[in-house]
Amino acid sequence: MIEILQWTTLAACAAAAIWRIPSFSQKKNRSLFYIFALLTLAILLSIKGPYAAIDGLLGGMNVANLLLRFIIFAAIYFMGIRIARGFGDNAGLNLIRGRSGVLVLGLVSVAMVILFALMDSEGSSAGMAAVSAKDARNAALVEYYGAAGRAYPAYVCVAILPGLLRAVGSTLPAQLRISALLMSIGAIAIPLSLLFPVIPPAAGFLRFIINYTAILCFVGGFVLIWVAKGRAARKQPAGRRHPAARA
Amino acid sequence: MPLPAKAFQRWLHGIAPDTSMADVCRLSKVKRTTLAQQLVRGKVAEATVVSISRAFNVDPVASLAYFDTYRDLAGPLIPPRQEELVSQIATADLLREVIARTVPGADGAADSEGGVPEAGARRAVEEWELDLTPHATSVKNWVDAIDDGELRHRVSAATGIAPQNYSAQLTANRLAPEVAIATSRAAGVGLTSGLIASGLITEAEGGWPPGARRAALDRLSDGTLTALAGDRLQALGRTLRRQEQDQEQTEKIWENLG
Repeated sequence: MIEILQWTTLAACAAAAIWRIPSFSQKKNRSLFYIFALLTLAILLSIKGPYAAIDGLLGGMNVANLLLRFIIFAAIYFMGIRIARGFGDNAGLNLIRGRSGVLVLGLVSVAMVILFALMDSEGSSAGMAAVSAKDARNAALVEYYGAAGRAYPAYVCVAILPGLLRAVGSTLPAQLRISALLMSIGAIAIPLSLLFPVIPPAAGFLRFIINYTAILCFVGGFVLIWVAKGRAARKQPAGRRHPAARA
Repeated sequence: MPLPAKAFQRWLHGIAPDTSMADVCRLSKVKRTTLAQQLVRGKVAEATVVSISRAFNVDPVASLAYFDTYRDLAGPLIPPRQEELVSQIATADLLREVIARTVPGADGAADSEGGVPEAGARRAVEEWELDLTPHATSVKNWVDAIDDGELRHRVSAATGIAPQNYSAQLTANRLAPEVAIATSRAAGVGLTSGLIASGLITEAEGGWPPGARRAALDRLSDGTLTALAGDRLQALGRTLRRQEQDQEQTEKIWENLG
């Protein structure tokens, strides 16, 4: 079940990245291509098989996991900026690009690297489950390391959420509002991932569902915008609706 | 509520017994696929009945009255109120009237003292015709014109439509025929008015006397006319500004996320 969700999300992100290739070669919003390429890579790294293969190449010390975290940071940073700009949310944009955003990113990154260095990261395992199982100390370190890794995406999502919700309630075209709604769901789900430590192990599947649903929502939101744009470009700008026809 | 397909077939047989469906569509300019779909779903749009009625020279209101939902349309017609008539005059026409009354026309130069020419002079510049109904904000203007403050509540109680959905229809200048009738009923005005305002039927088809809107316009005092035109302009300005803002925002989204 979780595997299906993971591969579906991977396929969706890869498809979105491929969709951006024509725009990329036309030099239109290139960062969108990078965002989806990074996300595709990130999801690939979060799936067991590919993770083991890539981490094996990197020395089998779970460096791939650290890499994964930074890939996510990069993707979420650019995505947050794009979305805040698109929806005209200057406050959100400032929170991400301004001093506080840089501070949060810096602190989280340093904390993550330190925690990673402190733990005995030997032995490839997706999600560092095997490392966590070694002893109590490593388990605690993995927990904090994971929390740090979720903190920055959560920060960016909280920053862009008000702007998205405003767009949902606005008088914009329906497709854009639905798109904003999808992105809002994603932006709510990701901060929820901070609650992962209190989710009982029995309900561990919830972690996966929240993470991947969030990504799918963001991808869906973007795709909807592209579709709407394509349509708007194709048809003539519609005049004001005039009810019914006269004889 | 659209009309049941069975009743529609019976009605159609009544007015065009020997005409094939293809010919009905050709004459009435209703798309064949549209009508076929409406028949399959068992719900025929009121606009379809109106178009076919026109094609066969049948009174559209009488045609609608054939169906149970619209039976009351067959009853005696309440004449339109002054405010209703004025509400169905396009904003541009109101403004034109303001100008015609304030700017002395070719013959009006003699009495330019007060800035307002007298009736005789006014006639001279009155060669233009009012635009046909409906206009761009006709639905909302009509409801505003007959609203005693409680109308919207009564309509939503009578039809079960949520007030915000009703408002959304008005803002979009749309009004489903049965809601239009319910609105008329709740306001105690002629049942065809809402159908005229929403553009389903013309004012003549709705039983408004020819020239009634023109006469209503002439009855307006300069002060009332100018204030009314001002209100309309203000509302139009707000709508346009919101559209511009939305357009700007949409373009920003295309530009950054598209």
